[in-house]
Amino acid sequence: MMEEEEGAEEQQRFSYRQRLKAAVHYTVGCLCEEVASDKEVQFSKQTIAAISEVTFRQCENFAKDLEMFARHAKRSTINTEDVKLLARRSNSLLKYITERNEDIAQFNLERKAKKKKKLEDENKNSVEPAEAGAVESED
Amino acid sequence: MEETGAGFRKELVSKLLHLHFKEDKTKVSGDALQLTAELLKIFVVAAIRSVRQAQAEELGCVDVDQLEKVLPQLLLDF
Repeated sequence: MMEEEEGAEEQQRFSYRQRLKAAVHYTVGCLCEEVASDKEVQFSKQTIAAISEVTFRQCENFAKDLEMFARHAKRSTINTEDVKLLARRSNSLLKYITERNEDIAQFNLERKAKKKKKLEDENKNSVEPAEAGAVESED
Repeated sequence: MEETGAGFRKELVSKLLHLHFKEDKTKVSGDALQLTAELLKIFVVAAIRSVRQAQAEELGCVDVDQLEKVLPQLLLDF
Protein backbone atom coordinates (compact mmCIF):
# COMPACT_ATOMS: atom_id res chain seq x y z
CA MET A 1 0.00 0.00 0.00
CA MET A 2 2.75 2.39 1.02
CA GLU A 3 4.60 1.77 -2.21
CA GLU A 4 1.57 2.65 -4.28
CA GLU A 5 1.12 5.89 -2.40
CA GLU A 6 4.75 6.75 -2.83
CA GLY A 7 4.50 5.95 -6.53
CA ALA A 8 1.50 8.23 -6.91
CA GLU A 9 3.26 11.03 -5.05
CA GLU A 10 6.31 10.59 -7.21
CA GLN A 11 4.14 10.77 -10.28
CA GLN A 12 2.51 13.95 -9.03
CA ARG A 13 5.87 15.57 -8.37
CA PHE A 14 7.07 14.60 -11.81
CA SER A 15 4.06 16.02 -13.63
CA TYR A 16 4.24 19.22 -11.55
CA ARG A 17 7.85 19.59 -12.65
CA GLN A 18 6.84 18.96 -16.25
CA ARG A 19 4.17 21.66 -16.04
CA LEU A 20 6.71 24.16 -14.73
CA LYS A 21 9.13 23.20 -17.50
CA ALA A 22 6.39 23.72 -20.04
CA ALA A 23 5.68 27.17 -18.63
CA VAL A 24 9.37 28.06 -18.88
CA HIS A 25 9.46 26.68 -22.41
CA TYR A 26 6.55 28.89 -23.36
CA THR A 27 8.20 32.04 -22.01
CA VAL A 28 11.52 31.18 -23.65
CA GLY A 29 9.66 30.59 -26.91
CA CYS A 30 8.04 34.04 -26.66
CA LEU A 31 11.40 35.70 -26.03
CA CYS A 32 12.99 33.83 -28.94
CA GLU A 33 10.16 34.95 -31.17
CA GLU A 34 10.65 38.57 -30.16
CA VAL A 35 14.35 38.44 -30.93
CA ALA A 36 13.83 36.47 -34.13
CA SER A 37 11.24 38.86 -35.50
CA ASP A 38 13.46 41.91 -35.78
CA LYS A 39 16.64 40.20 -36.92
CA GLU A 40 16.18 37.66 -39.68
CA VAL A 41 16.91 34.60 -37.65
CA GLN A 42 14.87 31.49 -37.13
CA PHE A 43 15.30 29.39 -34.04
CA SER A 44 14.94 25.66 -34.37
CA LYS A 45 12.63 23.86 -31.97
CA GLN A 46 15.62 22.06 -30.51
CA THR A 47 17.36 25.34 -29.76
CA ILE A 48 14.34 26.73 -27.96
CA ALA A 49 14.01 23.49 -26.03
CA ALA A 50 17.71 23.52 -25.16
CA ILE A 51 17.68 27.13 -23.94
CA SER A 52 14.54 26.34 -22.00
CA GLU A 53 16.14 23.30 -20.35
CA VAL A 54 19.24 25.27 -19.39
CA THR A 55 17.09 28.07 -17.97
CA PHE A 56 15.05 25.62 -15.91
CA ARG A 57 18.22 24.11 -14.51
CA GLN A 58 19.69 27.54 -13.77
CA CYS A 59 16.66 28.27 -11.58
CA GLU A 60 17.84 25.55 -9.23
CA ASN A 61 21.17 27.31 -8.81
CA PHE A 62 19.45 30.64 -8.28
CA ALA A 63 17.02 29.22 -5.73
CA LYS A 64 19.68 27.48 -3.67
CA ASP A 65 21.98 30.50 -3.72
CA LEU A 66 19.18 32.90 -2.79
CA GLU A 67 18.10 30.72 0.10
CA MET A 68 21.67 30.58 1.35
CA PHE A 69 22.24 34.33 1.02
CA ALA A 70 19.11 35.10 3.03
CA ARG A 71 20.01 32.51 5.62
CA HIS A 72 23.51 33.96 5.87
CA ALA A 73 21.92 37.30 6.69
CA LYS A 74 19.76 35.52 9.27
CA ARG A 75 16.56 36.11 7.34
CA SER A 76 13.94 33.68 6.11
CA THR A 77 12.60 36.06 3.48
CA ILE A 78 14.69 36.54 0.36
CA ASN A 79 14.94 40.20 -0.66
CA THR A 80 16.34 42.21 -3.57
CA GLU A 81 19.82 42.46 -2.03
CA ASP A 82 20.06 38.68 -2.27
CA VAL A 83 19.01 38.77 -5.92
CA LYS A 84 21.63 41.42 -6.68
CA LEU A 85 24.28 39.11 -5.27
CA LEU A 86 23.37 36.59 -7.95
CA ALA A 87 24.48 39.13 -10.55
CA ARG A 88 27.81 39.89 -8.91
CA ARG A 89 30.07 38.13 -11.42
CA SER A 90 29.66 40.59 -14.27
CA ASN A 91 29.90 44.35 -13.72
CA SER A 92 27.57 45.24 -16.55
CA LEU A 93 25.05 42.65 -15.40
CA LEU A 94 25.17 43.94 -11.83
CA LYS A 95 24.74 47.51 -13.04
CA TYR A 96 21.77 46.56 -15.19
CA ILE A 97 20.10 44.62 -12.39
CA THR A 98 20.66 47.44 -9.92
CA GLU A 99 19.00 49.85 -12.32
CA ARG A 100 16.07 47.49 -12.87
CA ASN A 101 15.73 47.18 -9.10
CA GLU A 102 15.46 50.94 -8.76
CA ASP A 103 12.85 51.04 -11.54
CA ILE A 104 10.80 48.36 -9.77
CA ALA A 105 11.04 50.12 -6.41
CA GLN A 106 10.08 53.43 -7.97
CA PHE A 107 7.14 51.92 -9.84
CA ASN A 108 5.81 50.18 -6.73
CA LEU A 109 6.20 53.35 -4.69
CA GLU A 110 4.17 55.31 -7.21
CA ARG A 111 1.53 52.61 -7.34
CA LYS A 112 1.22 52.64 -3.56
CA ALA A 113 0.94 56.41 -3.49
CA LYS A 114 -1.82 56.29 -6.11
CA LYS A 115 -3.71 53.64 -4.15
CA LYS A 116 -3.38 55.58 -0.93
CA LYS A 117 -4.59 58.77 -2.59
CA LYS A 118 -7.54 56.92 -4.08
CA LEU A 119 -8.48 55.51 -0.68
CA GLU A 120 -8.18 58.91 0.93
CA ASP A 121 -10.41 60.45 -1.72
CA GLU A 122 -13.00 57.73 -1.27
CA ASN A 123 -12.98 58.19 2.49
CA LYS A 124 -13.39 61.91 2.14
CA ASN A 125 -16.49 61.46 0.02
CA SER A 126 -18.14 58.94 2.31
CA VAL A 127 -17.86 60.95 5.51
CA GLU A 128 -21.24 62.03 7.02
CA PRO A 129 -22.14 65.70 6.45
CA ALA A 130 -22.94 65.92 10.21
CA GLU A 131 -19.25 65.71 10.92
CA ALA A 132 -17.38 68.92 11.13
CA GLY A 133 -18.83 70.66 8.06
CA ALA A 134 -15.28 71.05 6.79
CA VAL A 135 -15.71 68.18 4.35
CA GLU A 136 -16.76 69.17 0.87
CA SER A 137 -18.24 66.73 -1.58
CA GLU A 138 -17.05 66.88 -5.16
CA ASP A 139 -19.92 67.08 -7.58
CA MET B 1 17.72 49.51 -22.24
CA GLU B 2 15.49 47.46 -24.53
CA GLU B 3 12.01 46.83 -23.35
CA THR B 4 10.70 43.56 -24.68
CA GLY B 5 7.13 42.46 -24.11
CA ALA B 6 7.59 38.85 -23.08
CA GLY B 7 8.90 37.88 -19.66
CA PHE B 8 8.59 35.56 -16.70
CA ARG B 9 5.47 35.97 -14.57
CA LYS B 10 5.98 36.48 -10.84
CA GLU B 11 3.86 33.44 -10.09
CA LEU B 12 5.99 31.19 -12.28
CA VAL B 13 9.22 32.53 -10.80
CA SER B 14 7.87 31.90 -7.31
CA LYS B 15 6.98 28.30 -8.13
CA LEU B 16 10.34 27.70 -9.81
CA LEU B 17 12.23 28.96 -6.79
CA HIS B 18 10.12 27.17 -4.19
CA LEU B 19 10.66 23.91 -6.07
CA HIS B 20 14.30 23.96 -4.94
CA PHE B 21 14.22 25.53 -1.48
CA LYS B 22 15.48 23.32 1.30
CA GLU B 23 13.56 24.97 4.12
CA ASP B 24 9.78 25.29 4.35
CA LYS B 25 10.04 28.67 6.01
CA THR B 26 11.94 30.30 3.13
CA LYS B 27 9.90 33.05 1.46
CA VAL B 28 10.57 35.57 -1.31
CA SER B 29 9.56 39.24 -1.25
CA GLY B 30 7.47 40.57 -4.14
CA ASP B 31 10.24 42.90 -5.27
CA ALA B 32 12.75 40.07 -5.20
CA LEU B 33 10.42 37.98 -7.38
CA GLN B 34 10.18 40.78 -9.91
CA LEU B 35 13.93 41.25 -9.92
CA THR B 36 14.55 37.52 -10.34
CA ALA B 37 12.15 37.56 -13.28
CA GLU B 38 14.32 40.28 -14.83
CA LEU B 39 17.45 38.26 -14.19
CA LEU B 40 15.94 35.20 -15.84
CA LYS B 41 14.94 37.27 -18.83
CA ILE B 42 18.51 38.52 -19.22
CA PHE B 43 19.76 34.97 -18.93
CA VAL B 44 17.53 33.84 -21.78
CA VAL B 45 18.29 36.88 -23.93
CA ALA B 46 22.02 36.31 -23.35
CA ALA B 47 21.63 32.71 -24.46
CA ILE B 48 19.74 33.83 -27.54
CA ARG B 49 22.31 36.51 -28.38
CA SER B 50 25.33 34.24 -27.98
CA VAL B 51 23.75 31.65 -30.19
CA ARG B 52 23.04 34.29 -32.83
CA GLN B 53 26.64 35.45 -32.60
CA ALA B 54 27.92 31.94 -33.05
CA GLN B 55 25.91 31.43 -36.20
CA ALA B 56 26.40 34.91 -37.64
CA GLU B 57 28.52 33.69 -40.49
CA GLU B 58 26.46 30.60 -41.25
CA LEU B 59 22.90 29.54 -42.08
CA GLY B 60 19.72 31.32 -41.10
CA CYS B 61 18.87 28.57 -38.63
CA VAL B 62 20.35 28.15 -35.16
CA ASP B 63 20.68 24.68 -33.72
CA VAL B 64 21.89 22.80 -30.70
CA ASP B 65 25.52 22.56 -31.83
CA GLN B 66 25.92 26.31 -31.69
CA LEU B 67 24.27 26.44 -28.28
CA GLU B 68 26.66 23.82 -26.96
CA LYS B 69 29.56 25.96 -28.15
CA VAL B 70 28.53 29.05 -26.23
CA LEU B 71 27.01 27.44 -23.15
CA PRO B 72 30.17 27.15 -21.01
CA GLN B 73 30.87 30.88 -21.28
CA LEU B 74 27.27 31.76 -20.60
CA LEU B 75 27.23 29.76 -17.39
CA LEU B 76 30.48 31.36 -16.24
CA ASP B 77 28.96 34.82 -16.49
CA PHE B 78 26.27 33.75 -14.07
